[in-house]
Amino acid sequence: MRGKIIFLVASLLATLILLVACGPAPTVTPIEVTRIVQGTPIVVTATPVPVPKEKAPDVLGILPRRETLIAAQLTGRVGSPDDFNEWVGWKWRDRGMQQLMNEPLWSVDFATGKIINGLADGDPIYSEDFKKVTIPLRKGVAWSDGVPFTAADVVFTVETLIKFEGFNAHSFFAENVERVYAPDDYTVVFELKQPNSRFHTTFLDRWGSTWIMPKHIFEKVEDPVKFPFNPPVGTGPYKLHSYDPAGYWTVWEKREDWDKSPTGILFGEPKPKYIVFQAFAHEGAKILAQLTHQLDAVDLSAEGLKAALAQGETNRAYQRTFPWVVNNDPCITGLTFNTAKPPYDNPEVRWALLLAIDIVEYEAQAVDGMATMSPVHVPSLGPYPDYYIKPMQEWLKEFTLDLGNGETFKPYDPEAPLRLAEYAKSRGYVIPDDPAFIAQAFGLGWYKYAPDVAEKLLIKNGFSRDAEGKWRLPNGQPWRIEVISRSDMSHLEFKNAAAAVQQWKKFGIDAVHVPSDNVSALTQNGEYDVSGNWPAFEPWGAGPDLYRVLDVFNSAYVRPIGELTQGHTSRWSSPEMDDVLKRLRETDPTKTEQVVAIGTEGLKILVREMPGIPTFGYIGFVSWDEYYWTNWPGAENPYTQPYTHWGPFKYMTPFLQPTGR
Amino acid sequence: MAFLRRYLIPRLIQYVLVIFFGVTAVFLVPRLAPTDPIASTIAQIRSQGSYLDPATVDQFIEDLTELYGLKGSLWEQYIALWRRLFRGDLGVSFFQFPTPVIVLIGRALPWTVGLLLTTTVLGWLIGNIVGGLAGYFSRQKWSRALDVVAMVIRPLPYYIFALALLLLLGYLVRWFPIAGGASIGMRPSWTWTYVRDVLRHSFLPALSLVILGGTLWFQTMKLVVQNVNAENFVQYAKLGGVKEGKIVFRYVIRNALLPQITGLGLALGQIFSGALITEIVFSYPGLGMLLYNAVITGDYNLIMGITLLSIVAITTAILIIDLLYPLFDPRVRYR
Repeated sequence: MRGKIIFLVASLLATLILLVACGPAPTVTPIEVTRIVQGTPIVVTATPVPVPKEKAPDVLGILPRRETLIAAQLTGRVGSPDDFNEWVGWKWRDRGMQQLMNEPLWSVDFATGKIINGLADGDPIYSEDFKKVTIPLRKGVAWSDGVPFTAADVVFTVETLIKFEGFNAHSFFAENVERVYAPDDYTVVFELKQPNSRFHTTFLDRWGSTWIMPKHIFEKVEDPVKFPFNPPVGTGPYKLHSYDPAGYWTVWEKREDWDKSPTGILFGEPKPKYIVFQAFAHEGAKILAQLTHQLDAVDLSAEGLKAALAQGETNRAYQRTFPWVVNNDPCITGLTFNTAKPPYDNPEVRWALLLAIDIVEYEAQAVDGMATMSPVHVPSLGPYPDYYIKPMQEWLKEFTLDLGNGETFKPYDPEAPLRLAEYAKSRGYVIPDDPAFIAQAFGLGWYKYAPDVAEKLLIKNGFSRDAEGKWRLPNGQPWRIEVISRSDMSHLEFKNAAAAVQQWKKFGIDAVHVPSDNVSALTQNGEYDVSGNWPAFEPWGAGPDLYRVLDVFNSAYVRPIGELTQGHTSRWSSPEMDDVLKRLRETDPTKTEQVVAIGTEGLKILVREMPGIPTFGYIGFVSWDEYYWTNWPGAENPYTQPYTHWGPFKYMTPFLQPTGR
Repeated sequence: MAFLRRYLIPRLIQYVLVIFFGVTAVFLVPRLAPTDPIASTIAQIRSQGSYLDPATVDQFIEDLTELYGLKGSLWEQYIALWRRLFRGDLGVSFFQFPTPVIVLIGRALPWTVGLLLTTTVLGWLIGNIVGGLAGYFSRQKWSRALDVVAMVIRPLPYYIFALALLLLLGYLVRWFPIAGGASIGMRPSWTWTYVRDVLRHSFLPALSLVILGGTLWFQTMKLVVQNVNAENFVQYAKLGGVKEGKIVFRYVIRNALLPQITGLGLALGQIFSGALITEIVFSYPGLGMLLYNAVITGDYNLIMGITLLSIVAITTAILIIDLLYPLFDPRVRYR
């Protein structure tokens, strides 16, 4: 009996410890979190951990905290912390290399829709046959060791990349460049082996580009492929201060000659003296670090952002009210079909699966209705609604599916965003009735939820239902769809896949979600049915050019199942699309009207064929702590893109303001 | 001579065979899995925003196949592997190309060995000493109280237990850091400041491992001691008036320690596989995360390097235990 009492008391003590550690604080308002269970939203109340009121530390490690900005590293712990040779393999360039140390020739800033000239001093100038391109370079730039940056660095970089096979960009330059030379110190000329109107985009930073090597360092190296480039030298406003040999943090220090970097020349002096990129192994640690003012900027999951906002008195999101998220990221998410595999090789089957999706339920489950839907294969964000989605409205409304037996159906639903807004209101969020707000927050339209039409399309193609209402393939076998995705539950690939499975199950298909850490190999080799992969490549984020979106559907890149595909993982292509691509290649990307006309043709083909279903634009769950730093580029003042892991973060640093704490 | 022929040589042959088959299995298994290191590399480069011109991907695949040493048949790759291993060359990591595997292991190993060696030995010592005493004095109140505490702690999932420690001591009272192996900006050096900083960062992970590990040793040792305590020779010794201290340490604990020593040897061998969950909860450096990432990216050379270390460590530990066992157990010596 006594043993039982002791056991009981000890159990209660242990439970108490856990409750103290994880439990509620009476002074903090509970937050509501929605969980969708079999299509039904269930609101649960989560009570956050109390926020300690004590003063934040003045010193972090050896750094003065008030002069230091700390950002979480998106790609996690650096696997090769001693190696800064970006030109070979994968080097965790978001540890600060691309954001602070390096300046590219040009950068995309998707928030402003502009291309920022970094090391380049203007646009590339192509010859009429697109076989020659001249690039003007910026004067007055110096490497962080004081050596001036000139055209000789660019020429050396390209010649070195061509010479050594181990470089990532070797095959691109070897196959494209006939000759590169510098007529003077600030001009570089490329003669190309074949016409290429987008050659310069290899130097355009959109979360990565071809960087320029410091000639005076690399020319002394015997094997530049194995050279660790440590300490690194760059043209960005910061230089390496120190790094964790275990790969958890990298510290960057503002250059004394910051005015010799394009950032300094263009925007002035960066404010933080030190910037740290720190990796955390799980989201809980990121939130705890931010709540204790040890982390200024971080990307979280939807749930993590809600927790951080509820508990952090100085935390803010990109938008100060619902939907909080960064919704100008130039990326469309959704689903991808393996069109090399029956029955997904049939566009009518793909359309049937689309019409079996209720986009409001789908978005509610995936992202609590926070994202902007798009009916085409570019996001309804940034410049794309104006260039493409608005002008395509009439065509989308008239777009018709043939259901057989003379019956047709117009699937487009311009009211879908309003339905999503109603859902958001039902969740208690304040949604203005302003159509401009609804278009910006929820999109311009999607497709009708029409399971009856989906049924007709499937029956037309030989599918049938069994006695229990479950779908069977034309050969009579039960229809089982495996939807694969990354295993990271906070990733939008996972969320798209999970939401699709719920919708298709409701429709009577035996759909299962298969999260896998090996999703890249499986999709690139074509060993899957449907995946949560983006249904098209991401556009540049500035300008109307869709070459990056459409070129992956080139028939020349398609490989049989079992071989790594060169193009999109859907393995879809068509002669019609090849023709669009040929014309796009032959068009100057700066000629907006022509580029938009051809791009629109490409998007129409993708809607008709639907090799992948576009659902909603990428959303980022950024959480900023304003305890030490303010003037973040939030939705009310989007002076630059909001992420600390994108290259143009360097252009944010002169505008951040210290609070003086 | 008989010792050599009947005891040592068979064990040495067994040792070599285990390593040979282990290496062969580690060579084959990742290659049979659907993971493709080249697809992983290309996906990483593409998914992180870099634009790989599709027209040049075929050539890139060709280049990577050559660089990663994946050209030729499985048999040719297998022979090349043994040639490299005999030269002491573990090759380069595919995913962290061109960093040599030995460098990556060398960087992570001190953290893993430092943490796990200390906590394994500490947990074993504390667990066995306290468990031995609690087993012998099992009718005492403190012994039963400890038993209850152990029963409460032991079933807790490690992840929850470690997270609770992190919240309690890292966030609520803020005595210890939330993440990392050393403070930001600190450069590794043999100074007291740096060593103290590392010890402070390792305290929470170590505490979590010592408490849960020690509890297991406590429970097993207590049970074994209770069993030995009930043996006839112990009862006779008590009846014969042998001093209690001699009975506890020479008769009971010495006998009860035999399976614990075997357990310690195996536990020490296993530390080279790392402690993945500890590394994740405390964002602590080590081999566990290195191996996990190697497996999901199909980094064959790195998988081989870490598992080879683990295979050699475990088989060596078993060999050493086998060789030392006669010292602890006279019955083996007499056979």
